[in-house]
Amino acid sequence: MTRRWADRLLRAKVRPFTILGGAVLVLALMDRGTGYFFSVGTAFSMLQLFATFGLVALGLGLSMLVGEFDLSVAGIMSLGGCVAVLTGAHHPSLGLACGLAAGLASGFVQGLIMTWLRLSSVAVTLGGLLTLQGLTYVLTDNRTISYPSMEVALGLNAPILGLLSLRSAVAIAVFVVTAAAMAWTHIGRDVVACGSDRRAAMTAGVNTDRVVIGVFTVSGLMSALGGVLLDYSLGAASPVALADVLAPAVAAAIIGGISVVGGRGHPLGIAAGVLTLAILRSGLSAIGVSPHVHDIVTGAILLAVAVLDAPDLARRIIAFRLSGGWRHS
Amino acid sequence: MRSIKPDRIRSRVGKGAGVCVFAHPAILSSGMLLGGSIRRRLALGVRLVCLAGLAAWALLTPGFMTPLSIFSLLTTVSLIGCVAVGMTFITLTGNIMSLALGATLSAAAMVFLASLSLGTGTAFLLALLFGTVITGLQGAIVGWFRANPLLVSIAALGLIIGAAEVLTGGTRVYPATRGFAAFKGRIAGIPVEVLVFFATVILGQLIVSWTRIGRAMQMTGSNPRAAEVAGIKVPHIVTVAYLLAGAFACVSGVLLAARYGSGDMELGSGYDYGAIAAVLVGGTAIQGGAGSVLRTLVGATVIAAVQVCLLLRGFSDQLQYFITGLIVLGVVMLHTLGERA
Amino acid sequence: MTERDSSILSVAGATKRFGSVEVLKNVSLAIRRGEIHAICGENGAGKSTLVKILAGIYSADGGTVVVDGEVREIRNPQQAQALGIALVAQELSLAPALSVFDNIWLGNRTVPLFHRRDDLRERARRALGQVGLGDLPLDTQVVRLGIGQRQLVEIARMLTREAQVLILDEPTATLSDAEIERIFAALRALKKEGKAIVYITHRLGEVFEICDCVTVLRNGELVGTRRTAEVDRIGLMEMMLGRTLGEMYPERGVHRGEPLMRVRGLQVPGAVGQFDLIAESGSIICLAGQIGSGATEVLRALAGLLANATGAVEVAGRRVTLRSVPRSRAARMQFISEDRAGEGIFLDLRVDENLVATRLAEHTRLGLVQRRRLRETARRLAAAVGIDTARMRSRARELSGGNQQKLAFGRSIGRAAPGIMLMNEPTRGVDVGARAEIYRIMREFCAHGHALVMASSDLEEVLGMADVIVTMYRGRQVGRYVRGHAGMRQVLADITHPAA
Repeated sequence: MTRRWADRLLRAKVRPFTILGGAVLVLALMDRGTGYFFSVGTAFSMLQLFATFGLVALGLGLSMLVGEFDLSVAGIMSLGGCVAVLTGAHHPSLGLACGLAAGLASGFVQGLIMTWLRLSSVAVTLGGLLTLQGLTYVLTDNRTISYPSMEVALGLNAPILGLLSLRSAVAIAVFVVTAAAMAWTHIGRDVVACGSDRRAAMTAGVNTDRVVIGVFTVSGLMSALGGVLLDYSLGAASPVALADVLAPAVAAAIIGGISVVGGRGHPLGIAAGVLTLAILRSGLSAIGVSPHVHDIVTGAILLAVAVLDAPDLARRIIAFRLSGGWRHS
Repeated sequence: MRSIKPDRIRSRVGKGAGVCVFAHPAILSSGMLLGGSIRRRLALGVRLVCLAGLAAWALLTPGFMTPLSIFSLLTTVSLIGCVAVGMTFITLTGNIMSLALGATLSAAAMVFLASLSLGTGTAFLLALLFGTVITGLQGAIVGWFRANPLLVSIAALGLIIGAAEVLTGGTRVYPATRGFAAFKGRIAGIPVEVLVFFATVILGQLIVSWTRIGRAMQMTGSNPRAAEVAGIKVPHIVTVAYLLAGAFACVSGVLLAARYGSGDMELGSGYDYGAIAAVLVGGTAIQGGAGSVLRTLVGATVIAAVQVCLLLRGFSDQLQYFITGLIVLGVVMLHTLGERA
Repeated sequence: MTERDSSILSVAGATKRFGSVEVLKNVSLAIRRGEIHAICGENGAGKSTLVKILAGIYSADGGTVVVDGEVREIRNPQQAQALGIALVAQELSLAPALSVFDNIWLGNRTVPLFHRRDDLRERARRALGQVGLGDLPLDTQVVRLGIGQRQLVEIARMLTREAQVLILDEPTATLSDAEIERIFAALRALKKEGKAIVYITHRLGEVFEICDCVTVLRNGELVGTRRTAEVDRIGLMEMMLGRTLGEMYPERGVHRGEPLMRVRGLQVPGAVGQFDLIAESGSIICLAGQIGSGATEVLRALAGLLANATGAVEVAGRRVTLRSVPRSRAARMQFISEDRAGEGIFLDLRVDENLVATRLAEHTRLGLVQRRRLRETARRLAAAVGIDTARMRSRARELSGGNQQKLAFGRSIGRAAPGIMLMNEPTRGVDVGARAEIYRIMREFCAHGHALVMASSDLEEVLGMADVIVTMYRGRQVGRYVRGHAGMRQVLADITHPAA
């Protein structure tokens, strides 16, 4: 019995969905048929959460898939939202376009610097994070800027079929398009190859620079889109706190099967990871815990997956067992 | 607004990646044709020129040479500097940075203030112990399992912030006694913060350059696999680096708590970014290896000087993040000129 | 001039430098259609560098490349592909996480955006059939394949490229005899179609079996190009070495002392099974085997690097527990990896810092290192291995391969009590001149009473250096020969297809 379960979990492609299934099961059990937890309303708020940090998780996850790490996603999300709110007061689509352009440009430029100068992505995106977050502070003067158009906010959040909203529908659509592009075109293969073994990919003829720049541009675009949708729907723009965005995004990506060393995972897995975390949050909210417990739980989950994803975990366990376990040291 | 490094093209608003003239491929490739040591000397020369430019800009700032702003500069350097010295250990061992040091020092500050009733010395030690243990645990996870240090620090950040908010209910912590005054004020005309900072610099540099552990840290950062083959106990070294980082960062927390007389989680926000910027500007590479605490001293001075001058010139402190980010980008790009092929 | 005109690819005056080391010096050669052109030379002669320049992976510092009559600049692998050049590199370039199908089509310029088409699957299957893997499911993940199969997949990828010039760099190192025959059949068929094939090998037998002409490189320089019909094996070897075999390797040690290390039942799951070894002081023991033979794993297990190694190991009568590097080092076993950059040397640190990297414990008092004593020790060690003391303050990455290997060695010598040096591929990436020096240092080391256990896939080196040869195949010992009791043929037979 254990062997069968182990085999099932070992299949990396399936694992995120197993975890998601487990989370749904837990929720259903907690519910016990009362409809308190397991209802259309909960599903709706879950999908809203999905839209909030799902796109950022996707962008970050793609950068991890290609073997890099985009620290700046939180900054791009802030910047995109703020730019949109500032420029889109009278024309929402103009604001959207500007926000997306800001995100695209940020990702593209960082990708360019990284590949041109052969720099580590962490270093460049650290600088990018500070600069873009800082830019957001400058543009908003560290205040919350309100967005005058309430129709947009309402329109984005209005329930469709009780389950979706325009915001979550857009997020889901982006995931579907990304997953299709990765599966049906050779882009997916190139991205995984670059993350799996960059040198091998280059020797085989893949233009690794172009792939990396492309991934970071897309990551920037997605983070900005997430920020624009969020700020429009809140009716206000304010700089996003790092911990609020980065921790759940990374945790979702790793639960979704992306490894921080690169070359493993796919977008639908990330979606499963995001949904799992969203379920967790909804569940916790429904119980009525304070929002700060969310931080603790997300932090604990991230710590756990960071350890599980760690390269030397297996080695330490084996060495531990071989030296007699707890009896010797 | 005048840019800090006079020989760099200023970026337009909206783009964080200030384009550095020196990054132009023609110049880069001509630099690459030269020998390694010549390239490094070239990079050193460029760095000196930038420093000179910064010094000139600072000196020309009205009000810079007044005692008030000099003391302000020294205090800022000291506060960022203590955290930066701690961060140096983490970066040296090749673990990039910790995003949790700012929150850790805020929490330590709160611990300090809350336990003042036990005596100033005890409170100080408790605060240090707190920071050391919390950061050391992260180090153990990173060291033994080789977990990604950024992820671990992001997780720790969330855990610390969440736990602090739950425990304190979001209220500020006020000191029980006036005992913290020992960490405020001046001794023989020099602010206490500065004295404490110089003590940490001396201690830190001693550890890095003169002890076996410090050498082992440099080797671990330069090439962890080679370090293991050479017999270095990498997990132990990494844990020690994190322990030191926690200790030094919390010194800053105590100083801040004494300065403001009260503490909450906002106290240390942004200090981890200032600290890593100081480390990078000083010249330690982000991937670890060769580096020193003295370089971090230089870096902290640069960052603090920029902050003070911006304030004096009338710019809001909103700009600080932005400028720090540009500086980090610029320094990181400049590093390529000196090292890589 | 007719020779030039019929060549599809020619190089004139190629020069390449890495840092301060000149790896290729003014090399010229011409490759003609319908020919299999061998390139021979020792480790470090520059063969791989040359073909990587042709494949666009490196860019030459000087020289011109002419493809099909026109001068071209090949700046990256995509341009090489566009010009019809395909390479199977020595280091496999497959992405482990992808399937066989994906790896075959990875990086192929002619593949359309929507890539999961049946005709592509057909072509992949056909290419796999040509190398003998026709039954392998296309969706198998490469990480599940053995190293021989991976090599064949990489050759299949090359076949789908429809290139005019096919370059293979040591393709047969991991293949069985049957697989090699199949590859040769495929190459002969391609030759008939008029393709040009460049074949790098140091197995001289293969050169005479399928190649039409051979170019010899030595130390980055062109020695000459001959038709294979016009030269014989000894002549070829003399061209490669520039001297007879005897001058390269130092005199063997005369005395062999007491057993210093006994290994019984060494096991590494998946790599080594029930391996025994005795190392006498003053002797050099060579483990001979191909990739996958387990020789590397034996060394790494003894060094304490493998977490799942088990076995009874005794050094100077004392039992040693494996799985810990400090414990192995305390038992006087030191390891020098074949991957100097990855596991040996601290490239960013200085030469003197590198030399004393393992000696910090002895030079520490009250936790502080004694810098002056360290500097003196570094100087002494540098002199012992022949590193110019003027370079003590340069970064290790600026040294040549040979000097870096000397650095790795220098770090480990000079200890009083007899110990064991474990060396994997001691002269990989080292030029010919430095190799002789390193062999001398190794022999000198043993003369002080130490034992040296090395693993090498270079059989000339094994035969030249060893006092005892242990042949290995698939994780087990095949034979054990004292020097003089086995020749090249016996050793090669053992490591490629042992009887029963």
